[in-house]
Amino acid sequence: MLSARGVTKRFPGVVALKGVDLKVARGEVVSLIGENGAGKSTLMKILAGVQKPDEGEITMDGRRLDVSSVAAAQAEGVSLIHQELNLAENLSVAANLFLGREPNRFGFMDQKTIRLEARKYLTKVGLEIDPETPLSQLSLGKQQLVEIAKALSTRAKVIIMDEPTSSLSHGEVETLFEVVRDLKEQGVSVIYVSHRLAEVMTVSDRVVVFRDGEKVGELGVGEATHEAMVRLMVGRDVSQLYQRTEHELGEPALSVKGLRTEANPDHEINLQVRAGEVVGIAGLVGAGRSEMLEAIFGMTPPLAGKVQGVLPKSPREAMSLGLAFVPEDRKKKGLILDLTVEENTSLASLKMDARGPFLNREKEKRLCREMTKALAIKTPGPWQKARFLSGGNQQKIVLAKWLALSPTVLLLDEPTRGVDIGSKEEIYQLMEKFASEGMAVLFVSSELDEIMGMADRVLVMREGRLTGELGRSDFSEEAIMNLATQS
Amino acid sequence: MKQIFGILITLIVLYIFTTVIGESFLSPFNQEQILKRTALYGLLAIGVSFVIITGGIDLSIGSVVCLVGCGIPWLVMKHGWSPAAAVTAAFLVAIMIGLLHGFLITKVKLQPFVVTLCGLLIYRGATRGFAEDQTQGFGSGYLEFRKLATGKLQITDQFGIPMPFLLLVVVGVFAWLLLNKTIWGRYLFALGNNEEAARLSGINTDRMVTLSYVICSVLAALGGLLFVLDGNSAQPGAFGNFYELYAIAAAVLGGCSLRGGSGTVLGVIIGAAVMQVLKNMINLIDWLKSHMEFLVVGVVLLVAVVADELVKRRVRRVK
Amino acid sequence: MKKLLASTMALTAFAFSGCGDKEEGKASYALVAPSVSNFWEICKKGSEDAAKELGVETEFITPQSITDQKAKIEDLLSKGVDGISMAVGDPENQTGFINEAAARVPLITVDTDAPDSDRQVFIGIDNYEAGWLAGDLVKEAAPDGGEVVIFIGNLSQLNSRQRRQGLIDNLVGREKDSSRYDAPGQVVTGEKYSILDTLLDGVDSPKAKANAADALTKHGNLAVMVGLFDYNAPQIVEELKQSNKVGLVKVVSFDEHAGTLAAIKEGIIYGTVVQNPYDYGYQSIKVLHAIKSGDTGMIPENGIIEIPARIIRKDNVEEFEKDLNAKLGK
Repeated sequence: MLSARGVTKRFPGVVALKGVDLKVARGEVVSLIGENGAGKSTLMKILAGVQKPDEGEITMDGRRLDVSSVAAAQAEGVSLIHQELNLAENLSVAANLFLGREPNRFGFMDQKTIRLEARKYLTKVGLEIDPETPLSQLSLGKQQLVEIAKALSTRAKVIIMDEPTSSLSHGEVETLFEVVRDLKEQGVSVIYVSHRLAEVMTVSDRVVVFRDGEKVGELGVGEATHEAMVRLMVGRDVSQLYQRTEHELGEPALSVKGLRTEANPDHEINLQVRAGEVVGIAGLVGAGRSEMLEAIFGMTPPLAGKVQGVLPKSPREAMSLGLAFVPEDRKKKGLILDLTVEENTSLASLKMDARGPFLNREKEKRLCREMTKALAIKTPGPWQKARFLSGGNQQKIVLAKWLALSPTVLLLDEPTRGVDIGSKEEIYQLMEKFASEGMAVLFVSSELDEIMGMADRVLVMREGRLTGELGRSDFSEEAIMNLATQS
Repeated sequence: MKQIFGILITLIVLYIFTTVIGESFLSPFNQEQILKRTALYGLLAIGVSFVIITGGIDLSIGSVVCLVGCGIPWLVMKHGWSPAAAVTAAFLVAIMIGLLHGFLITKVKLQPFVVTLCGLLIYRGATRGFAEDQTQGFGSGYLEFRKLATGKLQITDQFGIPMPFLLLVVVGVFAWLLLNKTIWGRYLFALGNNEEAARLSGINTDRMVTLSYVICSVLAALGGLLFVLDGNSAQPGAFGNFYELYAIAAAVLGGCSLRGGSGTVLGVIIGAAVMQVLKNMINLIDWLKSHMEFLVVGVVLLVAVVADELVKRRVRRVK
Repeated sequence: MKKLLASTMALTAFAFSGCGDKEEGKASYALVAPSVSNFWEICKKGSEDAAKELGVETEFITPQSITDQKAKIEDLLSKGVDGISMAVGDPENQTGFINEAAARVPLITVDTDAPDSDRQVFIGIDNYEAGWLAGDLVKEAAPDGGEVVIFIGNLSQLNSRQRRQGLIDNLVGREKDSSRYDAPGQVVTGEKYSILDTLLDGVDSPKAKANAADALTKHGNLAVMVGLFDYNAPQIVEELKQSNKVGLVKVVSFDEHAGTLAAIKEGIIYGTVVQNPYDYGYQSIKVLHAIKSGDTGMIPENGIIEIPARIIRKDNVEEFEKDLNAKLGK
């Protein structure tokens, strides 16, 4: 029914999609998977009218579709449900359903029709609630269903779901899947975008795999095994990606005791990481993992607790305890985009190397030279602004900035988000190297492969507390997801 | 160099243009005036550019000019303080003002616009209070003290470099060293671009922001001192009105982005010079009436900023 | 951008070449006001008429502040004018600068003087005497006495200080002494009149209006409101009209603001003391040109050319306005 042919999209410096084809039949659930930056979200945005393709055409039942804007795409029956919900929290469910296209009589809102229509679409997604309920009283999962009801109310023929389960509980995920199956029966097609391979296997009729802007394979129901999907996504066996070596663990290098964060003041966190150990922290989005790292590093000072025996009140203090932190959002928190590669690399160690208040330019230059070489940072020169480097190289600059201080503990938040596969591999190798040199590494990741591939030990978080710990021999996706979602 | 290219060309064009039509423009007397005024306003502009580089703004400059400009003659003439004591007191007050701004902005987390807007009202109000709205000046006395602003370093018997300009050069060199050769300068640029990332890199951003406000207030005080020594008459109600806007305009002309994170000392000084040459030009050229001053300054400022933005966009596209 | 700038430069240079040269041999003078106002517009007209008569050029400058006035005069000196007539904003502190300028070109003062400076002559009224005249008007308007509030732009200028003092001294029945000074906040009480306050507005009309409103609120028993700068009385009238208090308070004005004249006709303002700004401008240029030509015969012994002030009430306002309009060429 829906068909995209030869879709190409270029961004400055990269080709995000290289002549991709995609077909979706009526009532079919097609999953799009791929690494970050593989092109799946670009394709999705083009289909929904958020972005315009440079080449290619999109047709429905042989007729060319107008997807020049979100409104146009909606009129043609294609609706996108964003990962971050686009709902007005303070309005009622009914008001949200018809926001911007309220049924009206002589310019006045027709409240009666709105309520009736709202109830009809809510029933379709299995929500038995009063349409007048303020949206903010619903759980995230139910809000998601409201979004789907909203899509249905526009008479959507194709609904695109972008990472719909990233913030849902286990039970809510099950409800969502039932709704998806219902939609199928009503003849609505679903394009399901997710990086949770287990879910993808459960819900889809067909899996389409993207890598580096190209479609690299399609798997039917029977063929879509975990291994097959990963191999296509990564382009090689995963075992090659994560190379760990056995080495002796030393004394505890990071100790966190009784840590209570502003986000989750009711739970105390205790943990230890030994020198040379790599510990991964798994959990759903919103489980409080980033908040924990930020508290340990003194970025948002913890309410109570001790890190290495003291309460860290600022990043400066945490640094003096030998800690270093690579934040999740490197563009906002990790780097200063309009400073040069050299200036970014030296930023944390500037004071240490200074002669009185004066910069030591020789040391600064040498540091940048050494780091560029050691971490294989690809830049035209030390003078290049960090803004113009690729995600992977930007991430390496953040690492370089901290290595200049020779930290004993390295905290990383989603270290490979938005990084191409080659750089990913290099970052994993660096993590392995730091650990083997005796650094304690604590990292947060939402990619289970990464957690299981890199960690010696996994800590799982849910709703602000540590809910479990798994040794390498106990690693499995099910075990981690159980700890992350069970209540 | 790239950053000041546009404004430098503008200054040169203005110079040539005014020389061609206003015959007395290049006279030694007039050049002395231009140097002196560039220095007076340039000091304020350098001060505010520190704040602008951190992404802040200081609207209280004109009122600090007024506070110091009225306060020093008031202390000296009415209370019999020695000039040295009065000047010391004035700078101490300016430092306190800067520290107060920094504290309110970094610790109480108020917006710079609001904090310094209140400052604008308070310092002027306070000045009008203690000076009882009386115009302050040194009368015909203290000529030696006033040499700090009225003195000249004679080059030829026709032309001398005014003292304020020499002070501007000294302050300019220090400002340049601070911004480009010290870790503090690097920190200022870093936090102006991205305060969060700078703080995460272990920079005491609060202290650096406060430093920038102290520098700004101290240079405003120096400006106020020189203005009153030069003009010898400061009305509490009018002295220094809008000077913060002239300073900000010069800083922006000189390449400071109000978003923070960029700016050069030389550019800012040239920016101040452009403003003063423009005003001088309007007075020298007969067919430009003096009531058109704001109109012309405003239009030129707008043209310069637009041209600069277009050039930058072009450069970005080429990259 | 380089190209753009270069071409604009060439264009403008071409368009205006020759434009800036002043006509050979023609003397040029400048009249420097302290601020923008109706009063100075009339003065400007007088200077222009004199220039036309004499076949010279004149320029009228309105600075934004005393600091700006200094810059403007420096620029005039750069430009090479043949004489300057200026209103002095701050006689005590500006004297040094006036002397510097007077050393370079003939310089006279108008309306407000710096008596100790090297200016050649002062053209104006004796403001103390003019203030005294305003006092006479107050006595006529409220013969039984009462509370008085004074409104004025500032007290930093000698003329405003003397004008106010003349008024006060007349009302409380003191001996004439133009060097006396009562601070603005203190209440001065005589037999019949008591001057409660003097409100300053910094030559800002909206502020002047707000001052009038505040005075009406604060002093419920006001007999007379006196506006000593030209815009003051019209602002008082506005406020009286808006708060429906016309007739409750007498108003005495200074200068010939159009609003003042209209309000005199309406009977809201009792009367006004007028200077002769047209003559200020006219005489300024005449005197400057004479000095320039080497004729100093018209400079009196005491260095003051007095242009007397007059009183305008309802009976002579029409006639006065007709004459004024004729001079302004309306």
